[in-house]
Amino acid sequence: MNKGFFPKLAANNIRKNSKTYIPYLLTCIMTVAVFYIVKSLSLNPGLEKMVGAQTLMYTMSMGSWVTALFAFIFLFYTNSFLIKRRKREFGVFNILGMEKRHLAQTMAWESLYVTLIGLVGGLILGIALDKVMFLVITKAIGGEIALGFFVSGKAIETTVVFFIIVFFLIFLNTARQIHVANPIELLKEGHAGEKEPKTKWLMALLGLACVGVGYYLALTVENPLTSLLVFFVAVVLVIIGTYMLFTAGSIALLKLLRKNKKYYYKTKHFTSISGMIYRMKQNAVGLANICVLSTMVLVMISSTSSMMLGMEDILHTRYPNDFVIYSDEGTRERSEKTFADIRALQAEMDLNVTDEIQYTYLAFSSVEDGDTFQVTRSGSLMVMDSITNLIFVPLSDYNAIMGTNDILEEGEILLYSNRKDFDYPVLKVFDKEYAVKKKLDKFLGNGVIAANAANSQFIVVRDMKEMKDLYKKQKEALTDIANKFRYYYGFDTDAGEEEQSRFYTAMMDLLTENGFLGSAESRFDARTSFIGLYGGLFFLGIFLGVLFIMATVLIIYYKQISEGYDDKERFEIMQKVGMSHQEVKASIRSQVLTVFFLPLIAAGMHVAAAFPMISRILALFNLMNTSLYIACTGVCFLVFATMYVLIYTLTAKTYYKIVSR
Amino acid sequence: MAILEAKGVQKIYTTRFDGNQVQALSNVSFTVEQGEYVAIMGESGSGKTTLLNILAALDKPTAGEVLLEGRRLASVKEREISAFRRDNLGFVFQDFNLLDTFTLKDNIFLPLVLAGKSYKEMNRRLQPIAKKLGISELLAKYPYEVSGGQKQRAAVARALVAEPKLVLADEPTGALDSKSTDDLLRIFNEINRDGQTILMVTHSAKAASHAGRVLFIKDGEVFHQIYRGNSSNEQMYQKISDILTLLATGGDRHE
Repeated sequence: MNKGFFPKLAANNIRKNSKTYIPYLLTCIMTVAVFYIVKSLSLNPGLEKMVGAQTLMYTMSMGSWVTALFAFIFLFYTNSFLIKRRKREFGVFNILGMEKRHLAQTMAWESLYVTLIGLVGGLILGIALDKVMFLVITKAIGGEIALGFFVSGKAIETTVVFFIIVFFLIFLNTARQIHVANPIELLKEGHAGEKEPKTKWLMALLGLACVGVGYYLALTVENPLTSLLVFFVAVVLVIIGTYMLFTAGSIALLKLLRKNKKYYYKTKHFTSISGMIYRMKQNAVGLANICVLSTMVLVMISSTSSMMLGMEDILHTRYPNDFVIYSDEGTRERSEKTFADIRALQAEMDLNVTDEIQYTYLAFSSVEDGDTFQVTRSGSLMVMDSITNLIFVPLSDYNAIMGTNDILEEGEILLYSNRKDFDYPVLKVFDKEYAVKKKLDKFLGNGVIAANAANSQFIVVRDMKEMKDLYKKQKEALTDIANKFRYYYGFDTDAGEEEQSRFYTAMMDLLTENGFLGSAESRFDARTSFIGLYGGLFFLGIFLGVLFIMATVLIIYYKQISEGYDDKERFEIMQKVGMSHQEVKASIRSQVLTVFFLPLIAAGMHVAAAFPMISRILALFNLMNTSLYIACTGVCFLVFATMYVLIYTLTAKTYYKIVSR
Repeated sequence: MAILEAKGVQKIYTTRFDGNQVQALSNVSFTVEQGEYVAIMGESGSGKTTLLNILAALDKPTAGEVLLEGRRLASVKEREISAFRRDNLGFVFQDFNLLDTFTLKDNIFLPLVLAGKSYKEMNRRLQPIAKKLGISELLAKYPYEVSGGQKQRAAVARALVAEPKLVLADEPTGALDSKSTDDLLRIFNEINRDGQTILMVTHSAKAASHAGRVLFIKDGEVFHQIYRGNSSNEQMYQKISDILTLLATGGDRHE
């Protein structure tokens, strides 16, 4: 045999087996691209600039290893399909006089081609995708985000080394299989009957219980901060339950259906159910994977996108006015003096103030117990769940700002709750009992309180006398950690960005100069960092989401196609025994439909169950706009489902073509 | 009454490669009477399989026609052809064609389920057939759990369960050992005695020697046919062997 024979034969083999090889090559390219992207994201210098950089970087580098494991398993798995298909061909070559080492040599060349195509294609695709995604998202959020486009030499190097090892191992495995098999076995391969899977009732019930308990936990969790662990347990339970239900539950259900003679022996159900039992045996884990991945993708994208879209809302909750000064000066007079200085600065710098508010407040934390709020120094901080901020504001300030004319009698209050409702007619604190005259749906903004993760009750009391009384009681209870009165001064302006920026700098200089106690914030200044932070999260969310979707879709596509070849024979027999084309088509449709949409439906249920919890977590980020989150989740699900349907149609078509020759 | 009639059936294939025309069947005419057991013999490439495909309405003849109970197969609409096949024809294949995903029972039920029969009706039909074929005990097993002979008996049960007018068997003994072959041929004789019409394509002289009439096909035509008359299986076998020798040595056509 001359030198060029094996490379040529290998190239020819790939070309001749293009039907099975092309999906495999695409899978290789995709896997390489995904790995590269995750790796390069984890090395992206922009990560360091993001809030929570440590955690993010850690998560991303963990993520790249998970992706590596995933890629390894996935490529082995897809390759085993390919080899199974081709064993017959090997057998023929072997019988025709090619020695096993010649076969191995051919396979070595084929592996080399696959490695080259996979690596080059994958890296190009990875870098291109990285760039495209970056451009699209930057455009979408209209600003620079912390994560820039970045070609990482180190990531390329890691990718190349990793995949050369993976492909080499795959080649070794193939060579081993060729080596141990004899030609007759090779020829017959693929005709061995597969055993019917056993019903594992215990596992099915356990899976059901896991999902049930997980759902229950997720739905009943009240405070996301204290119950993060509970929620985590719920997530783990649901994941485990999903795997169990897909593997054992599906088969148990199908067998139950098969026992029902009246249902089973119908043209429509007969072939589908028996087919599905085998299909689930091979696919359950893959489908559960898809389900879990889809759920993660949906949660990730819908929460990050609603945060992105709700950024203005969040910004307004956190920064109620364009400029805000929180004074800790202790007395009204000294605070007034600071505020007057700032007003002077406004005039001096010619800043046009459109609106301003000013109020006095007293805030301290308490432990909630029904309608009573206990204020003690030793109050156990362990009961995080019931910690509540109480914010008191005199009626005069409230009326002045809101432009209302509310009147309060002795012992009456107005109440606004920011995260958790207060459902009692009377509010008790210290020895006082206040009748809740009215519940408010809007309140003076207070960003510092909003930034605090605990629940807050905003209480309007009758007058300053009442405020002072509360202050004294608080002082007695909390002694050295007691809070002073605080003074809030916020104002809005219609000035441009530059002017605001200049004013903010001048104001901060002035305050430092005067030795001001307290803090000052500018919404404009904060917006830039908000966009950076949330934009980065959004970018990660969308990027990983799209990546996972593509991976998911490829898995399904590949599975369907490779199964098509297995099913071909089955449907041929059915047609010989008298099944019409239409009936074959209907049976295929119902099976493919189930396999396809089972994970999607399950993912939808998971997302729905996670909904209350996620919206509470978002509330921690000051995103109270639940309807926005609902809309985001809905849109994400729809987009996802549409992509899914598209792939389904494509797959069903190809699948049918294979099955009906 | 003739249950099956083939009149001047011709089949010409055009090869995909160079457009050459290959004649598989040139002119085949014969009839099968109700209750007959007919074997068609011929060497590889004689056009046996093509003929069987045409009789099974899986393929269409280039010229001539096939009538089942006086109805022209060509007149059956494309949409109804599957239903027509499963109502009128039962198939037994060389490689059984049982589905691995079904138990033997469900494999046998397949044509009935496709025809929309109720479970009770299916069961009523299955019991006597399973008993006759000796597979009552095996019904719950899967094809990969039973022997080749048992598989073929299940396949015969599947062919019979729809109560077809005609059973078409394509090399039914081809994949069986000699004992299973004997069993199967005995079963064919029994069901034929019960009135089932059978048409079998084979190149096994032994299998053909059980039939009531044997047609020999050569070069796409019916070359010769012999009737059993009162001969025993052994005498029949001898006759068939003689004809096959003649065929192999290229004798002229004689009736």
